Amino acid sequence: MNLETILQKTYGYTSFRPGQKEIIASVLSGKDTVAMLPTGTGKSLCYQLPGYLLEGQVIIISPLLSLMQDQAEQLMLNGEKKVIAFNSFLTHEEKRQSLMNLRRYKFIFISPEMLHFEAVLSQLKKLRIALFVVDEAHCISQWGYDFRPDYLKLGEVRKRLGSPLTLALTATATPAVKEDIKKSLGITEGSEFIYSVDRPNISLSVERLNSYRDKIERLVELAETLEGPGIIYFSSKKIAEQTAELLRDRGVGSVMAYHGGMDQESRILVQQQFIHGQLDLICATSAFGMGINKENIRYVIHFHMPLQIESYLQEIGRAGRDGKKSIAILLFAPGDEQLPYQLAESELPDNVQIDWIKGWLEENPEVMSSLSQYEEQIRQVSGLTDTQWRVFEDFFQRKSSQGIPLGRVVEEIKVYNQKRLESKRQSIEEVYSWISMNVCRREHILSFFKEEKTEAIRNCCDVCGLELNDFTKKNNKENQENLQYDWKNHLDALLIPGE
Amino acid sequence: MESSYLKIVILYCIKELQGQRTIYSILHLLNGKKSSQTIQDAHLFQLTRFFKTFGQLTRSELEQLAAEMENINWISQDENGHFTLSVKGGRYLQSALLEYPIPSSLNGWKYHTSTGVFWERLSLLVQVISHLNYNHAKYLPIQRKRNVLSWLKDFLKTSGADRNELGILLNKELQHCLGSLSDINPAVLTLRLTGYNHIGLTDVQAAKQLGLGQDYYHHQFLGVLHYILECIKHSPSRYPLLGKLVSGSEDSVPLTFSTKKTYSLLNEDFGLDEIARIRNLKRSTIEDHVVEVALNESSFDITPYVANDRQKLILKAANSSESRQLKQIRQLVPEADYFEIRLVLAKFGEEER
Ligand SMILES: [Zn+2]
Repeated sequence: MNLETILQKTYGYTSFRPGQKEIIASVLSGKDTVAMLPTGTGKSLCYQLPGYLLEGQVIIISPLLSLMQDQAEQLMLNGEKKVIAFNSFLTHEEKRQSLMNLRRYKFIFISPEMLHFEAVLSQLKKLRIALFVVDEAHCISQWGYDFRPDYLKLGEVRKRLGSPLTLALTATATPAVKEDIKKSLGITEGSEFIYSVDRPNISLSVERLNSYRDKIERLVELAETLEGPGIIYFSSKKIAEQTAELLRDRGVGSVMAYHGGMDQESRILVQQQFIHGQLDLICATSAFGMGINKENIRYVIHFHMPLQIESYLQEIGRAGRDGKKSIAILLFAPGDEQLPYQLAESELPDNVQIDWIKGWLEENPEVMSSLSQYEEQIRQVSGLTDTQWRVFEDFFQRKSSQGIPLGRVVEEIKVYNQKRLESKRQSIEEVYSWISMNVCRREHILSFFKEEKTEAIRNCCDVCGLELNDFTKKNNKENQENLQYDWKNHLDALLIPGE
Repeated sequence: MESSYLKIVILYCIKELQGQRTIYSILHLLNGKKSSQTIQDAHLFQLTRFFKTFGQLTRSELEQLAAEMENINWISQDENGHFTLSVKGGRYLQSALLEYPIPSSLNGWKYHTSTGVFWERLSLLVQVISHLNYNHAKYLPIQRKRNVLSWLKDFLKTSGADRNELGILLNKELQHCLGSLSDINPAVLTLRLTGYNHIGLTDVQAAKQLGLGQDYYHHQFLGVLHYILECIKHSPSRYPLLGKLVSGSEDSVPLTFSTKKTYSLLNEDFGLDEIARIRNLKRSTIEDHVVEVALNESSFDITPYVANDRQKLILKAANSSESRQLKQIRQLVPEADYFEIRLVLAKFGEEER
């Protein structure tokens, strides 16, 4: 049976998207594979399909709870029952139970933190691992935009599992990050598949405005005129919320905010409403979009400046998955570049905090062997945020387990922080120069990934020339007539079986 | 104006508290704090229906609202920090309650443990039935808690009803129950329901669509759920299917941990002073526990602590005194102490009025 037939049988698709087939074939031939596929081109198929053809379990390491949950759910939606996602959604008992019966599953999703536990690792070792998948593999690189300390240990984990066949997937990686991935995972030979980060059907535009107020006005104007559905990204929950309110007041269709501060039920409802076309526009923080399978998003607007080119590409990559023309617009006003710097700094513990913790640890040396148990206490007094704590704890654990004395660990943390901060600053400067320079936006991004623009694209970017009219609503659709809501009819429709 | 309804609730509580408590007792009540003091206050001042009906209200929000109302002289503060209603505030409250009546079915105390679970089960069941009706198996469940999902699995296995019947039956029961609601629009609930190709509204969206403030909407939503729960309790034979959504989430109100310990010693026939000694607690604390037990266990016999004759005297005094202030009752029955009065009010308080 050829791969297309299997694809048709399992998923009902008739053809692969660019790259998928080559990557799958490489995995099936038993080669460790590093693959870079742009966002929105069906990465998960690359491990799902081999999973069905290889004997044994597929282990998928995934960095984000929500992403993991989404991917597991997508598999289940497709009728696959042998899926388990090991994360904090499971109770202790459920974890224990599933762990004893790992063999029953085909697809096992695990967060990197879970791999710290010897009990987990020793159960995994008993399996016949068909494929070891590292999703969002760029998280492995300290210089990647989304570095996760837990990912650093994956190389060791892989070795302990007997170096199973491995597939590292990412959407965006510069050549340096790609080398880091291979080195960290211990992949010496193997195949690489790098597909262009370019998404020719997404036009790129940066609009410079004079003030915050102008940005808001322009945003309202765009939301009124652009053909939806669309997403507007903000870096603050509050502003996302306020803007959604403002747009509703101005009568811009059906708009809702989405952010991590909302309760779970509302988040699910808003996401589902958007997917089902009941909502036209989402005002979101970066919490929105991971794992959202919506093909027809027509525009993505950034109200705040992104922190890295990579994350920007991820977010705008949610537009136009159906291949139809779509647009990404970044609104920029002077002074906007300050916010990313503040955000970047707030993610790392500062030297005063580190010195304070050092003092505290010197007074309570018995704590050092079990630092995580004292998280609450230490965070309370030092004032570390959740992210800052994770960065600190991880570094501390790694270094002190190597027998390095406290004083030196602290110095190393400071140096390391400085480097991380430098790298973040550099990323921000790259975005800033991308905004400021008057060269083709697409070419500029591609050069960042050591690629070149090969074809001429209509409506390429605001520098090359852009006809915004191509993206506006054509037929001014009448607002859907508001039928009188009748609760009795609604219940009937929900519950009475149709003909 | 967003919090105007919440202000009404707070004013109402201040009125009922008769200047005997600080504003934080209202916070604890609305948050549903499980302390003997809060639980007894709720009963003593007949505010049980508000228990845990604004679980998210914060201290500073409440202080802010109180300050606003003090500024416009609706309430004033005495030297103990206790608020009382002014004449102006009283007049406002009276007219506001006509416009925004508190849902009559609201019963936080009785149903605060079962409301959330009931809604999660109901909304999920409706979604599942709707998709079954359309033979559509691929959808994401609107509720994600594992205990709710596994409840549903068991329910579908054991309900005995056939797929088609299930929807018809649930529809019949819901139509009947919601159709008999008098003071709340059933749309408050039904707008939130998700089914095939139709995702329900969030609380914010539903409130907007109905033109209600968020707080008022919230109380009405709880009011509808409490109404259904009351219907199920009252005539279980009429709502056999809905009744199955309640089982296991029963409204047994748990005692606080410390009270449980005291209660088990009471059951071993220890006296109050003995228990105080054993547990190394003050006698007054043990008395608080006994009152809490009396509030929660309808079968709890208080005669060992208050003789029958005295119970009657206290009840008589309580009914004749307008305010139910302990002090006033004590003046009418000087031979009773405060513990005895509180215990009698706890036992008979609510239904005697
Ligand atoms: Zn261009």
